[in-house]
Amino acid sequence: MKFTVNGTEQNVDVEDDMPLLWVLREELGITGPKYGCGIAQCGACTVHLDGVAVRSCQVPASSLDGSAVTTIEGLGTPESLHAVQAAWVQHQVAQCGYCQSGQIMQAASLLETNPAPTDEDIDFVMAGNLCRCGTYPRIRAAIHSAAKALNKG
Amino acid sequence: MRYAFVLMFFASTALAAGETVEITPPTAVSPQDGLAAWSRIYEVTSHPRCANCHVGADNRPMWSGPSYGRTRPHGMNINAGESRIGAEYVPCSTCHALRETGANDAHHMAPQVAMNWQLAPVDAEWFGKSSVEICQQLRDPEHNGGRDHLALARHLDHDLILHWAWAPGGGREPAPYGLQDHVNDVLAWGVAGFPCPDD
Repeated sequence: MKFTVNGTEQNVDVEDDMPLLWVLREELGITGPKYGCGIAQCGACTVHLDGVAVRSCQVPASSLDGSAVTTIEGLGTPESLHAVQAAWVQHQVAQCGYCQSGQIMQAASLLETNPAPTDEDIDFVMAGNLCRCGTYPRIRAAIHSAAKALNKG
Repeated sequence: MRYAFVLMFFASTALAAGETVEITPPTAVSPQDGLAAWSRIYEVTSHPRCANCHVGADNRPMWSGPSYGRTRPHGMNINAGESRIGAEYVPCSTCHALRETGANDAHHMAPQVAMNWQLAPVDAEWFGKSSVEICQQLRDPEHNGGRDHLALARHLDHDLILHWAWAPGGGREPAPYGLQDHVNDVLAWGVAGFPCPDD
């Protein structure tokens, strides 16, 4: 199946039921998305599929043809961070960091649809992304900061 | 608003193309037999495989039934929003991806079907409702999408997400009877004049 990852065309020959997370990590060597649970319970594998956050462990390769995937590697660059990534640095959100690529991708998706989320909005959207270090207060603060930065243009 | 008997979750590759359903209404059904058919229909509509996604205006799907332990709202603080597909927060499709071949019958996995996951409309709130309440709602064209019994049967035939209720996989208890039995009961109930227990 042919699709793009972070703007680069990819053509992979894998079983139809291989999850996107496996395609990314094992076939393409893109290891920003993390394996946490494999059953959509933790959010560590979150990427954008055609602009919408999805759990890549749940997306079958058979559905990828013609789609555009964005991972944490393609959200921003070290020279030009995405506003969410910049806010993550500003607030020093990460502790162990394992869940953070999924958190950032989910947060970026949230701000695409809701440019000024309330705490309640954030809790509705981010509750499916677990952080065993308990960085939730910093995640929420960083999302508010990123929202303000994006709204300033 | 289009009425959809949206049911929760999925499994089994057999559902990819959907189960074949025959829509053959009986020529005549007595009120007594019609009420018996309704009784079975209520067993289906009140079953967790159906009712968990037939929730009210709070837009919160439920987790209930033998495989879920205690009854509680869907984990992860899920709110499907007024869109009923989660567009305002986390889309259902974030985890319940559309899968043409059908899959995800492992325990605790997000079920997937060859159709977009969604809640039923608020008009079709069934969770925690009595037999009388659901019966009156389901026979009322103002609350069932303007459907007669034949249209209700066709709806059960066409919308593959509904088929999942009888083959949910993942250790989940299926809805009672079977899809064809349920269609037959809907047809019989309609031919009998949609009798409800409080008539």
